[in-house]
Amino acid sequence: MILTRLTPITKISLVLIFIALTTGCATTQTTANGDPDPLEPGNRVFYSINDTLDKALLQPIAETYAEYTPDLVRTAITNFFDNLSYLNVVLNSFLQGKFDQGLSDATRLVFNTTIGLGGLVDVGSHIDLPAHNEDFGQTLAVWGVDQGSYLYIPVQGPNTTRDVTDLATSALTNPITYAAGAILFPLAAINIINKRANLLEATRIRDEAAVDPYVFTREAHLQRREYLIHDGNPPTTGYDDIFDAENGNGSGQSDVLRIE
Amino acid sequence: MKSRRRYIQYIAGIILIACSFTSVADENGAVAVVENFHSSLLNIMKNADSLQFQGRYDTLAPVLESTFDTPLIAQVILSRYWSDLNEEQQDQFVDLFNRLSISTYAYRFDSYSGESFKTTGIEELKRGRLLIKTEMARQNEKPVKFDYLVHQNDGNWYIISVIADGINDISLKRAEYVAIVSDKGFDNLVIEIENKIREMGGPSTNI
Repeated sequence: MILTRLTPITKISLVLIFIALTTGCATTQTTANGDPDPLEPGNRVFYSINDTLDKALLQPIAETYAEYTPDLVRTAITNFFDNLSYLNVVLNSFLQGKFDQGLSDATRLVFNTTIGLGGLVDVGSHIDLPAHNEDFGQTLAVWGVDQGSYLYIPVQGPNTTRDVTDLATSALTNPITYAAGAILFPLAAINIINKRANLLEATRIRDEAAVDPYVFTREAHLQRREYLIHDGNPPTTGYDDIFDAENGNGSGQSDVLRIE
Repeated sequence: MKSRRRYIQYIAGIILIACSFTSVADENGAVAVVENFHSSLLNIMKNADSLQFQGRYDTLAPVLESTFDTPLIAQVILSRYWSDLNEEQQDQFVDLFNRLSISTYAYRFDSYSGESFKTTGIEELKRGRLLIKTEMARQNEKPVKFDYLVHQNDGNWYIISVIADGINDISLKRAEYVAIVSDKGFDNLVIEIENKIREMGGPSTNI
């Protein structure tokens, strides 16, 4: 009853605060031993189910869609759905304290929705209003929340206990959520097929390269998240720590000489 | 007393200048290694059709062998399991990983659509290592960031890690390979990697 009397903005704020608090508690517990994937046995089961369904159903549909849909149309469809979900980017730019970026994102949203014919044309990128990649998981990371446990969610795919919160904020801020069923289901279907088609190249590389596709997907996802959280400039310390950890007191070349 | 202080200042100045020149020379050498590697990639991309996979593999093989510190990379990738291997297995894995790397580049860089590389920055990391930041520009698509971690061995620079748009190949492979060795053993990892090389069209073991 009380919730119905609140404005949508207040509702979203309350949901965000609740999510932030509960995620903070959850991640502290799950990462206590430093293992990013304590739920691996369950995650592997869901990965296997998803992968089977994907290869049997979604991937063939996406391949057919990609083959017969002109590039221009695919770009317009991608632009349209990106624009529908862009309010989430605007919101999270501000939540992370990036006010200039937030204003740019809000302006981009207005331009693409109006001049860009409902988002079909990406006008913003041509007038110095570039697309940014922000979500509530990244916001929580900026606020200091650990990533928590890796999660593989049925249908949705790779995630973490921190980043899963974005499912709520992205749904709340996306107009599709509020559409009637007759519009919602076809739009959602096109969105899923188009998204899968845009991922065909990435999954092709995974299939070619991975000897353990589950671990490959997890590591690539977690590294990609770090990259996005730091806006494309993640800390470089991790790059060479791996060499020091292995070789103790030196560059590692002395150990290598041992094997030559 | 005054002349002695001036003399010390003079010597310190020379050392400082010498060090800075050495540092610049070192950085130039490291950048040259990465840029030569990029030139080789562009070469196989531009001549992809005439070279075919085998030609691209043969062209890249000597380049990768002189550009990447594969023995170190192989050791780091196998993590704690490296020391469990005997010398023959270690040599086998270095050779295997070398063929996998050459095959992967020869397989992926199989066409040219106006791509170009440029070096965008250098960052000094621990123990004299450098991170060479580069970008591959593509027509009508976002550029791809390639960062190379390089280190010096016997006065020469070698690439020891490649990070593409934030995805660190060595960390990714280490997580995968350690999981396989842990669950199925080293021999099964070798079989899996040999399969990948064969699927791309690469050669089987030549040890």
